[in-house]
Amino acid sequence: MRFEANEDQTTFLSVLDQMMASDAALWRHSPDWRRYDLAPELDGMLEENGFYEAIAEETLGAIAAVALIDRAARLPVTLEVAASSMLHAAHAPDLPRPVAVIDGPLDRATRFLPVAKSVIHIADGGVRAALLPEGAVTPTESIFAYPMGVLSGAALDWQALPVSPEAARDQWRIAIAAEITGALQGALDAVRAHVVDRRQFGRPLGSFQSMQHRLAEDVAAIEGGYWLVMRAAEDFDPVAVAAALGYVQDAATAIVYDFHQFMGAMGITLEHPLHRWSYRLRLLKSALGGASGNLGLLAERRWGAA
Amino acid sequence: MEFGWTDRERAFRARVRDFLHRELPADFDRIARHGPGSREQTEFSLDFCPKLAEAGLLVPHWPAEWGGHDGTVWEHFILGEEMWAAGEPRGAQYMNVNWIGPTIMRYGSEEQRQRYIPPMAAGKAIWCQGFSEPNAGSDLAALRTRAERDGDHYVINGSKIWTSYAGLADTCFLLARTSGKPGDRSGIAILLVPMDTPGIDVRPIPSLIGHGDIHEVFFTDVRVPVTARLGEEGAAWSIITYSLANERVGIPRYELSARALDGMVRELKARGEFGGDHVRQRAGRAAAACEAARMLVYRAVDTRARGQKLGTEANIARIAVIKADAAVSDFGLDFLPDTYSGEDHPLNLAHHERAIVAGIAAGAAEIQLEIVARRHLELPRGA
Repeated sequence: MRFEANEDQTTFLSVLDQMMASDAALWRHSPDWRRYDLAPELDGMLEENGFYEAIAEETLGAIAAVALIDRAARLPVTLEVAASSMLHAAHAPDLPRPVAVIDGPLDRATRFLPVAKSVIHIADGGVRAALLPEGAVTPTESIFAYPMGVLSGAALDWQALPVSPEAARDQWRIAIAAEITGALQGALDAVRAHVVDRRQFGRPLGSFQSMQHRLAEDVAAIEGGYWLVMRAAEDFDPVAVAAALGYVQDAATAIVYDFHQFMGAMGITLEHPLHRWSYRLRLLKSALGGASGNLGLLAERRWGAA
Repeated sequence: MEFGWTDRERAFRARVRDFLHRELPADFDRIARHGPGSREQTEFSLDFCPKLAEAGLLVPHWPAEWGGHDGTVWEHFILGEEMWAAGEPRGAQYMNVNWIGPTIMRYGSEEQRQRYIPPMAAGKAIWCQGFSEPNAGSDLAALRTRAERDGDHYVINGSKIWTSYAGLADTCFLLARTSGKPGDRSGIAILLVPMDTPGIDVRPIPSLIGHGDIHEVFFTDVRVPVTARLGEEGAAWSIITYSLANERVGIPRYELSARALDGMVRELKARGEFGGDHVRQRAGRAAAACEAARMLVYRAVDTRARGQKLGTEANIARIAVIKADAAVSDFGLDFLPDTYSGEDHPLNLAHHERAIVAGIAAGAAEIQLEIVARRHLELPRGA
């Protein structure tokens, strides 16, 4: 039992942290007040330096990939990291990225489709991937803090990927769970800064016990989730995978509520980045069956059928 | 990062499990039904712990000089996890093993070590912890019980409350004030007080958490020699801060919770009542809470095992452990309410009684939240 990163993972994380602190990762509202702000410069740096390929490196592995997904999700800027460093790196490394992932019907609004160069489709019959030619996607307006779009119906040249739907879904579960812990942590850091600075009734908001205790409970839930995700990334044990995603999706609802409450009116403006995290979380917590589906899956995997 | 066990740790756990399998009677859940302080479980511990000692599994983490095997932090932890999951057959003696013995080894006089440690290492000593008072619970430094110096004796007057195991204990690890006013941490001393000393009156408090678990203890002109003092006058606060630092992570409660939850699901399946999405999702939620607690506890233990100073990892873990206990208890109460009447389901009853005290004993949940808010989040104090 060792919670410390190994030497290579430590180096990976330390270089990553430097990149994540660069100007390219900073909050700025988008010129047209969209709810997301893509960071092509940072994305390019990560890609050029091989960060998205961590899962294929023996001494880095899925643990480093998941740590990357978590750290990227903490940022106020939007990066397509989860699909690239998990499914793409493991099963379709030659496809151009960014990558969108569709789990289930093809006609649903899906994040990253408008900017994706390829798409991975997980269906019960198999996992496949295709390039996205010009015109293959129709962008859609959305409340979620991602570029959202739907496939326009143009014929795609699908290629089967050498992975079972079950294995791909479990990898995707862990990628999404890491995005959730990252988004929660990013939002927590921002909310914490706000309640320390903002004074009302002659004292910082964060000095009120009503906020302190809820934020402390949120910390316990976020960190518990983070370590469930790390544990599951070690070997994708099916019970651990379902527990990790079910737990973080379940916890996210109350935590997002807390964060918006504590940020007050500031948090409902687009001048503060809270919406970047909360409107990612509102989509992520519905993924792959949502909390109900994944906690039900955990029950099935732990105890079997009725 | 690596979340598996070493061969040595696996072998150690297997040894503990084999021992439990061999020595625990089939109806141990009934014996453990009323908690570690009950007469049944205490009597059992006085038979069980000497055997555990003989097998080298009572104090494996203690130094060889005192009957141990210089075992690792993880072996100590695995032992506690397995024992708690089994219903804590060591009864109250888990306290000796975890911190009272090591504290006496470190701070005690040679006479105190020779007198108290061998019976603990042999599994024959029952201790109680005289900390809380009517006006000093979470705010322990507010304690008022006084120990006045009278020649080469102390005369103790005052009272303790919610004292676990006092009814059957041989000795009390007592905090008493030798100087200063309530709230003054520097005026407190530790006294090791035999419970048969004249002037000690123990009264059980009827409670929700098992037979004979909590008590009031009254001290009226109780005379103990100065040699009963552990460490210097005024040193109590730093001694217990050191001694309990390793205990802050608390009991590995999630392990009994997970076992109780598995039992509840077995029962629901046997009744044909584990088919609905709602019951399955709630069971999954309780299981996930146990696993999150487990990971946070392991993180705190790993910090210690690597010789690093614990920050707020243990407090964060405690919050998760409390929530996991509550999730399992609520699951049982919601889906198997009938098992909480009668005596056919002793594990559910025992788990419930342990769960409702999880957020109160050994540092209330709100104290943990307070520490996380201040030291982890570094939130400001009020005006």
